[in-house]
Amino acid sequence: MLSVWKALLLREATFRLFGTRAAWAWLIIEPLAHFAFLTFLFTVIRQRSVGGIETPIWLIIGLFGFFTFRRTANQMGGAIDSNRGLFTYRQVLPFDAIIVRGFLEGLIMVFALGVVILIMALAGYDVMPDRPLVTISALFGLWLFGCGLGLVIATLAEMVPETREIFRMLMMPLYFVSGVIFPASAIPVQYRHYFLWNPLFHGLEEARSGFAVYYHATPNISISYLYLCALCTIGFGLLLYRRTSVAIASA
Amino acid sequence: MIVAEDLGKKYPTRSGPPHWVLRDVNFTIPSKLSVGIIGRNGAGKSTLLRMIGGNEKPSTGSLRRLSRVSWPVGFGGGLLSSLTGRQNAKFLCRIQGRESDSDEILRKMQEFADIGSAFDEPVSSYSTGMKARLQFAMSLGFEFDVYISDEVTSVGDAAFQKKALAHFKSLVGKAGLIMVSHSESTLKDFCEAGIWLNEGKAHWYDKIDDAIAAYKAT
Repeated sequence: MLSVWKALLLREATFRLFGTRAAWAWLIIEPLAHFAFLTFLFTVIRQRSVGGIETPIWLIIGLFGFFTFRRTANQMGGAIDSNRGLFTYRQVLPFDAIIVRGFLEGLIMVFALGVVILIMALAGYDVMPDRPLVTISALFGLWLFGCGLGLVIATLAEMVPETREIFRMLMMPLYFVSGVIFPASAIPVQYRHYFLWNPLFHGLEEARSGFAVYYHATPNISISYLYLCALCTIGFGLLLYRRTSVAIASA
Repeated sequence: MIVAEDLGKKYPTRSGPPHWVLRDVNFTIPSKLSVGIIGRNGAGKSTLLRMIGGNEKPSTGSLRRLSRVSWPVGFGGGLLSSLTGRQNAKFLCRIQGRESDSDEILRKMQEFADIGSAFDEPVSSYSTGMKARLQFAMSLGFEFDVYISDEVTSVGDAAFQKKALAHFKSLVGKAGLIMVSHSESTLKDFCEAGIWLNEGKAHWYDKIDDAIAAYKAT
């Protein structure tokens, strides 16, 4: 099984990094461009710091946390469909394809974040979190939640083909309600509890609060809520997988 | 050796009860025997072959593979067109757990496919014939105990076809072969025994000629 994972990982990685011209550069340029544009908007037009963290750093954490979640979910969600030809080799199970994609996406995001942090450090920003473990565990939780959702999407799409389109549509509003580009403190208090239903909101705020002890995070932020949601989606995804795996192989 | 016990496969239908393609099928295919599967369209030949290949699970009963069974020879899926022929072939070595001696296997595949330097070009630049050559070479690069084949008579140009058939022939006696074909002459050329599928049942014949005769009698 390990050799299958290794084979799939190398195959996927070769494709993602060298599949098209300079594919590896686009993996980093995409979030970077997004980030640069927002940084410009925020720092030049609005404010220099958010809740005590320099705006660019604050944005990076939010964007990378959210992108990690979104990319992992999308990539894993498409894993069965785009590897269907491989399941004729009985050594390769749909599950292998899903797992490997999630792992690869995590690796890519770690690498991309590393590059950006390096650039920021060279530009003279303070990139060292005060409590690194808090930030790391929050980002890991976001990735895990992305994995869970990806598993659900991949398996549900076998029963309901429209699943991927629906989730892709949901990602956009999710971006706006997860606190990626606005601080929790910008939400009027009486509406804030609605946002707290969203596990991503918890993950992003937690990641930022790990960065600076003096960051004014929203009260009631709980990293365990994010992990609970991640575990629930993974469990649900595994149940769905059990239900669909027989049908996948024969398709 | 491949043993089927009370093997059954059903598919759901749009209206009402499921359709049983195969039901209560029992047979034992000894090692190194070449077997042809015949039957009319929809009789379950490909379904049976997919179950033997492990791509489909039986609905009832069991199918035990007590030997190393190939994937369908010349199978077309799974080639990633942005990767080179070599990269695709190497992927197969890895999933077969043969990374350690992959150099040797790749050399054999390259020699057999005989597509020259295109082996190191992306598959997207291949012609249909070159792709077929590569796929055929990939499935013959490993030493399986049993090869399965679903209608693989026309691969590439005449020269390659001749070569492929010759290679296939050389395997008879050394390895098992389970093939589905509508071509009588192909079956007679390659197979000793036969399985005739009719109305969900499998009938075993020690001689392929008898199987063909029974099939024709209906």
